Amino acid sequence: MREHDLTFDAMGSHVRLLIGEPPAGADLPSAAEAATSARRFVREFDAALSRFRPESELCALNADPRERVPASPLLRRAVRAAREAAELSGGLVDPTLVDEIERVGYVDSRAGLTGAPLAEALRSAPGRGPAHPRPGSRWRELAVDEEAGEVVRPPGLRFDTGGSGKGLAADLVAARLRGYPRFVVDCGGDIRIGGAGALTWPYEVFVEHPLSGERAHLIHLGFGGIATSGLNVRIWRDAEGRYVHHLLDPATGEPAWTGLVGATALGDTALEAETRAKAALLSGPVAGRRILAEKGGLIVHDDGAVEAVGPIAVVPAPVLEDRAPAEVAA
Amino acid sequence: MTESRAVARRPARKPGGAIVFWASAALFAVLFALLTFQLSATTTSGTTTAARPVQVRKVIKRRIVTTVVPSPGVNRVVSGPATSSASAAEVPAEPITTSAS
Repeated sequence: MREHDLTFDAMGSHVRLLIGEPPAGADLPSAAEAATSARRFVREFDAALSRFRPESELCALNADPRERVPASPLLRRAVRAAREAAELSGGLVDPTLVDEIERVGYVDSRAGLTGAPLAEALRSAPGRGPAHPRPGSRWRELAVDEEAGEVVRPPGLRFDTGGSGKGLAADLVAARLRGYPRFVVDCGGDIRIGGAGALTWPYEVFVEHPLSGERAHLIHLGFGGIATSGLNVRIWRDAEGRYVHHLLDPATGEPAWTGLVGATALGDTALEAETRAKAALLSGPVAGRRILAEKGGLIVHDDGAVEAVGPIAVVPAPVLEDRAPAEVAA
Repeated sequence: MTESRAVARRPARKPGGAIVFWASAALFAVLFALLTFQLSATTTSGTTTAARPVQVRKVIKRRIVTTVVPSPGVNRVVSGPATSSASAAEVPAEPITTSAS
């Protein structure tokens, strides 16, 4: 089988599309055409929903003084996805922490910037503890009126797709690729896999270790989503010299130091996987294990120890050291 | 006195055949009626009151079979920012990796 492999930058990350060529006679564009069309969609998605683009529809929504704001189907879908993520995570993945994330210094895109050394940040970080939802759960005030085509929220309550955007983008691209024999949509590590062929020949997905950058685990995946959340990127020193990162404890509005430096989750969709990964990391080791138990995942502790949780824990981890990347790709 | 003792020692007469027959038939009828009543009472109580819960136990043996599926030998046509689809060459692709971003 031939697969088309397209990589490009969007949403502050690398995006990769792997699309199997449809069989001869299928009423589908070629894999290359599908990839080009998907790339166009991802770029439109980014342009409409980026917090870092003043001309985006998201920024227009956040600046709008009305309570009910007409919104495109894409923005309405993004608001619904953010609410789904907040509900699934019990408010830990909160899309309304825009003031808080800007307060810790994440005002502009950090795409392409090298993160501060995580090991050093861990040594100077405050005490560990699980994050908690913000009292009052303001994300519940976000709503979508599909009939009117409007987003409804109290003026001044700003919304961000940071916790759910890449997973949603992967899922929406996957929906456009229905009918292709097998495909991977990788939006900055939030991955959606589909196609009947992938069930027969699952893809090999490596999990990167947040401290060493090496491969921490290998998962064979033929369907659904997988996503990773970690402290090793988007970590920097603030004006006072303390280490801060972008995963905030909603209760305090401060970066969360929970005893975990990374979490990888599986889910039926990339959005679900992304939500579970973030929720597990924010919850710390004990509650994190519970969050990942149903669908499976990995947690990486502060000391670098990797722990498989749920369904993938029963399958012995493969020995990765014996396999060179070229052999893996062959 | 002697005469009355002699009477008492006289062996009892055997009952008549008809008496034995009818007594047996009557005893049988009574027992049969009792059993029938008991059986019908059991059946009725079984249908009108909650049946005793029956616990069904299944023995489930869980076997996890890990099979290494050989790769189907996918040829990937790679295109990136610097390579257009038209000029793409077949090269071994990077493995798929999930990481924080």
